[in-house]
Amino acid sequence: MNRVNPLHIIILLIVILAFIIMKLNKAKEEFIDTKSSYNKTVVLADKIKGLKSSYFNKNRVQRGIDQILRSYILKDSNIDKKVTNYSILLTSKNMNKRSLNFLLGKILNGNYIVSELQINRLNNQKASLNLEIKW
Amino acid sequence: MFGKFKKQVDTIFVDSNSPAFHIESSVNVILSPSLYWVKKISLPIKSLREVKALLESLFEDTLPEGRYSYEAYKFNDEYFIFAYKDKYILDLLAQKGIPASKINGVYFAQNELLHLDEAKKIDENEVIVVKDDMLILLPKKFTSAQNMLNVKDIKLSKHRVTLKQFGHIINEKSLYTIMALFVVLLLLVSTQYMITLNKIDKLQAQKDNTFSKYSLKPTMMQNRSLLKGYKESYNRQIELRNIIAVVLNMPLKPTQKIKFISYENRKFTLSYSGLKKGDEHYIERYFSAKNLNYSAKYNKNIWYVEIKL
Repeated sequence: MNRVNPLHIIILLIVILAFIIMKLNKAKEEFIDTKSSYNKTVVLADKIKGLKSSYFNKNRVQRGIDQILRSYILKDSNIDKKVTNYSILLTSKNMNKRSLNFLLGKILNGNYIVSELQINRLNNQKASLNLEIKW
Repeated sequence: MFGKFKKQVDTIFVDSNSPAFHIESSVNVILSPSLYWVKKISLPIKSLREVKALLESLFEDTLPEGRYSYEAYKFNDEYFIFAYKDKYILDLLAQKGIPASKINGVYFAQNELLHLDEAKKIDENEVIVVKDDMLILLPKKFTSAQNMLNVKDIKLSKHRVTLKQFGHIINEKSLYTIMALFVVLLLLVSTQYMITLNKIDKLQAQKDNTFSKYSLKPTMMQNRSLLKGYKESYNRQIELRNIIAVVLNMPLKPTQKIKFISYENRKFTLSYSGLKKGDEHYIERYFSAKNLNYSAKYNKNIWYVEIKL
């Protein structure tokens, strides 16, 4: 007979439904993967941003060092500052104990990457310093 | 042009007493009056649809028990109304060698043979005759009919009957309800699928946005490598500060001094002056207690220490 059997239509609908449910399940898996990947990206980005802005930011490091060097305690230490593309080099041939304590205290308690450090005791009160801070 | 390919379909008349047929191609079937119930009624209703809604009640009390389908056709100012059993007819047709797949169309004799002007034999025992616009079967002995009924060249009407193959299992209304449910389910699942795809696209866009917002490198591998480098530098700085804290917090005798401190290429070195032979053991015990991994040498009252980060 020419009439389309309603049961055939129902079977066709079941097949289409099964196909779409399969696609939906795949899409859900993809969604979970994408969400997980997005969350990982955000966590990674936050960590990178946190470390970068704290330790590896050229402007922040330069501003911080300049602020420390402006202190009256370091006035007589004759600290020489040299800035390169990747670092700041601080040298002093003769600085007193108080200035050295102050400077090292600020640097070591702050968020700075100390790549090179040399302290040479000259006598009971004086020392020479070579300090490189990178970003 | 298309007429060239039009298939010629044979027409057959089927009664419950008909012999088996040998069907090779599709056929049109005219059902004998013995296979359905028919009434001619006059109703003050003009719409055929309204008549169809009343069919079940119009046959009430006149039909034996069973599941029936109903049909109605307008005839002048009156209506022919029909009641028939789909499964019974389909089973009978199958018994007569006419499977459902070979049926092109099914028609009631009432609609197709109204033009008969004399009684016609349908077999050796029965004749078919029109009386008061109603087609009826009579025993042959009641008439003097000589000619057999020939339906081969008959021009069929538009009143084709649809036989429901599964009507006895589940009625059409239920089938349509199930179909509607599946369609609704299909729409819901499709909508959820579209929403999920949309969410994936949005997440992907947010992820891309995170890359530009945080100025990340193009690939996650590069970013992981960058973070690893940052972490290594950070951890090394923490270790350096710990070592300096240990070294500077160690109590020394007034004669003992730190002469030199250096940190370069992940190597921390320092030297102590004013140490007598054996004093270095005290410092060594102190360093060991603080878990410092060091190497040392003692030379001319100066103790050299090297710690690798």
